[in-house]
Amino acid sequence: MANWKRRLLVGTLALLASASWAQAKTVCYVTAADAHAYATPANEALEARAKELGIEMITLSQNFDVQTGTEQLGTCIARSVDGIILWPLDPQAYIPGLARAQQAGIPAILINSPMDSQANQFIKSFTGPDVYEEGEMAADSLNGALGGEGSVIIIAGQAGNGTTIGRVGGFVDRLAEIGSKVEVLDTVNADFDQQKALVVSRDLITRFGDKIDGVYANDDTMARGFIDAWKEANPGKPTPPIVGINGQKDAFASIKSGEMHSTIVQSPVEDGRLAIETIAEILDGKEVEARRPIPLTVVTSENVDSVEPAF
Amino acid sequence: MNLGATIVRFRVAVILGLTLLCASLLVPGFLGATTLSLGLDRGATVGLIAIGMTVLLIARQIDLSVGSTFALAGIVAVMLQPSLGIWPAAMAGLIAGAAAGAINGLLVVTFKVNPLVATLATMLIFRSAAHWLTDSQPVPGTDIMLSVSLSKIHLGIFTLRSALFIGAVLLLHVWLTRTVAGRNLFAVGSNAEAAKASGISPGRTVFLGFIFAGLFAGLAGVLQSLTTNTGSPVFGSELLVAVIAAVVVGGTRIEGGRGSALGTLGGVLTIASLTTAMEFQSVPAYVQQVVAGCILILLVVLDRTVRPGPRSHAATGGTH
Amino acid sequence: MTDASAALSEETGSTRFRKDGRWAALLSRAGLSIAILAVIAYGSAVSPVFFTTGNLVNVMTSMAIIGIVVVGMTFVLVVGGLADLSVPATIACGAILSLALQPMIGPVPAFVAAIGLAGLCGLVSGVLVGYVGINPIIATLGIGTIVLGIVQASVGGVIVYGTNPETAMLVKSRLFGIPTIVLIFLAVALAGNFLLARSWWGRWTFATGGNPKAAEAAAVPVRAVKAGAFVITGLCSGLSGALLGLTLQSARPLVGTGYEFSAITAVVVGGVSIMGGAGSVPRAVAGLVFVQLLTNVMVLQGVRTPVQGLVLGLLIAGAVALDVALRRRGGA
Repeated sequence: MANWKRRLLVGTLALLASASWAQAKTVCYVTAADAHAYATPANEALEARAKELGIEMITLSQNFDVQTGTEQLGTCIARSVDGIILWPLDPQAYIPGLARAQQAGIPAILINSPMDSQANQFIKSFTGPDVYEEGEMAADSLNGALGGEGSVIIIAGQAGNGTTIGRVGGFVDRLAEIGSKVEVLDTVNADFDQQKALVVSRDLITRFGDKIDGVYANDDTMARGFIDAWKEANPGKPTPPIVGINGQKDAFASIKSGEMHSTIVQSPVEDGRLAIETIAEILDGKEVEARRPIPLTVVTSENVDSVEPAF
Repeated sequence: MNLGATIVRFRVAVILGLTLLCASLLVPGFLGATTLSLGLDRGATVGLIAIGMTVLLIARQIDLSVGSTFALAGIVAVMLQPSLGIWPAAMAGLIAGAAAGAINGLLVVTFKVNPLVATLATMLIFRSAAHWLTDSQPVPGTDIMLSVSLSKIHLGIFTLRSALFIGAVLLLHVWLTRTVAGRNLFAVGSNAEAAKASGISPGRTVFLGFIFAGLFAGLAGVLQSLTTNTGSPVFGSELLVAVIAAVVVGGTRIEGGRGSALGTLGGVLTIASLTTAMEFQSVPAYVQQVVAGCILILLVVLDRTVRPGPRSHAATGGTH
Repeated sequence: MTDASAALSEETGSTRFRKDGRWAALLSRAGLSIAILAVIAYGSAVSPVFFTTGNLVNVMTSMAIIGIVVVGMTFVLVVGGLADLSVPATIACGAILSLALQPMIGPVPAFVAAIGLAGLCGLVSGVLVGYVGINPIIATLGIGTIVLGIVQASVGGVIVYGTNPETAMLVKSRLFGIPTIVLIFLAVALAGNFLLARSWWGRWTFATGGNPKAAEAAAVPVRAVKAGAFVITGLCSGLSGALLGLTLQSARPLVGTGYEFSAITAVVVGGVSIMGGAGSVPRAVAGLVFVQLLTNVMVLQGVRTPVQGLVLGLLIAGAVALDVALRRRGGA
């Protein structure tokens, strides 16, 4: 009888201990923004998966401001969480914060965007798509569509923004790497804004006219702006090959109608999920790879019917 | 009624107290030293810029270019590190900030351009200069470990940045309340003509005010660059609204002639503790925006209804 | 125009010093036209495609959206309301609602509702400024932050797509070769000019902006006039946002970012004083035309986007400093 009681007690204690152990796992997630077409579904997927894994989340939104983000890293460290997931908006500015996290013994991983190699010593892994790689894939796609030569324009996002730097850098570097004869006529910033892309495209079409053999837009929204400007200027004339990134619904429609050549789909849901699963493995004491990509799919008219749009 | 008047008079302190009370009840561990030091450090960047802005608003001026000055000074401080060394480069950053302020002062005082318009122009110009210097790429500093050590907490609660902020606010308080120059500032802000008649040079005061504001925006920018080991052309683009909100919540009037350093301290701390508390609860950023906007409007409306300003007073008197 | 000729006849036969002043006064009045002509001359010289119908129609189309905001912002500056910083929020309001409400209540009611709600935001700012006496910068900053926060919360940051492509075709269509959107802008500008230059409301606006106490004494309802300027800007931004949403067939909460400063830039470059009491819609529109032509030339010449800000900043500072200097010399 006493034995049975003792067993129950030990069992209960063990259960309590394991329960409190599970509860103690808190992960701090410094996200890019909480009201954004890509970030919102990624955040939701991440939080949903965290709930399944029994991890408590503290989600902090930088609202696209690097300075806010660097301060939020401090918040995470002060709350002595068990792990940090950082969505970097700048290749360097978070490095001191990550170093402090390491001093405090908090493992950190990056989601969605890479940082400079200096940061590698302070992070356990980098999961998700790589904006630089997306630029490279866009270069391959556009180079292929043009048969290796021609003049293109780049419609870039905000100047100085991490995503812009990666997507433009990857594109330009890749063209040089494969020895492409594709020449960049001009790179303009349209801040990921459709109207700005529309306005600047009108001017570019006026300026270069038929010299534009292809277009690379840093996201599908801006590609849409170029298409509208092209239709205004040259009604009835087919658009040059246009390559975008993100895989939005309306980009899929444009690819089907032949107005766009390709886009690159990355799933925000997979992006979010992979990050939380990776940090969960780290918290369980497992070793993880330094780089965990999510599949990036180049969508053209050939596979547009078999791929799901990202959002 | 008397109690009500007292509450309204010390409304910044009341709101700050209420925020801290709610936060400590709702957020476990909020009143711990680490959290407080964190909130203080987060307020420090906005706070340092708000110090300069307080002086300008009292003198009936405004500076919209502080965010761009912040970025520019930080970039100068980081870019010169390899050639000058860290501390001389930081000094150069401060000088860049002061120089930016001097340009604003020149436009406003010498060329008589309205401060709102002049600093709107320099906001664009300094931001462009930041992009031009860096080729729109963030620039890395030379010493990461310095950045880490700069964020260290001293005496249990202060970081270098927050200590500088608190020190500067207290000095500003003494300067504004106990010195002739400080009182002259209020005189210039409430009535420049009368100030001139009594032998104060409004032009000189305003010019120095802009340099002061530029210097503090630069100081905040240099500290930001040192703690992140990065100079970036996009830094500080979201700061302006927070700075103006903090100063105005603190009871400084944008119409000039009224304001206080301690009010600004209260405003900065209120907004910083609100942000920290809401972040601890993972409140979405847009809800935080709505709350901050409501507090801003509420405090300013309170200020108006209790102590009507000269203009609205005249309007009341003239109603038939 | 009439007081220009009056000033001329009054100064005829004056001393050399006064002649100097006369030239300065003339220059300050005609400066903007000269500047616009100079940009056109430069653009035509350096770029063969600049002075073509296609390009000029493009410039007009591109400026229509911001132009509608400029008309409203002119009222705010003239009435002495400094600036309306809630424009990005009211534009987002117009763009998102005009698309999001389409499936529920149909395109036309959605369009009207979007503009109406934006006007309501303007009314709240206007009441705070006109009746409570809060500084316009603070009032519009606060209201803008709140409205934008609510807009973001209501759509959760997701892109809102249009469901009725016919409305887009209507907005993008052309009448006699001129895009409909340009015609809408011209109509708004004409209406704005009529309201400001020819109506009692306009006289009240100038009186309030020039000397509120005197206006009050002359039985002008200064509070309502002040509030009204913000309602007008709210309605204009709402219209501008709704048109933006229909053209793009998609809308995001941050769609209006930066429009407030672009509008202020145009108005100020047009020579409308931020101190209130003076200015006109044609001047503000001329300022916008100048800025847009200059931007167009820069893009055609391949000037890097961030550097364009430098030119714009120098332009604002230079234009206003010159204006101040000329006015002083002109004895105006």
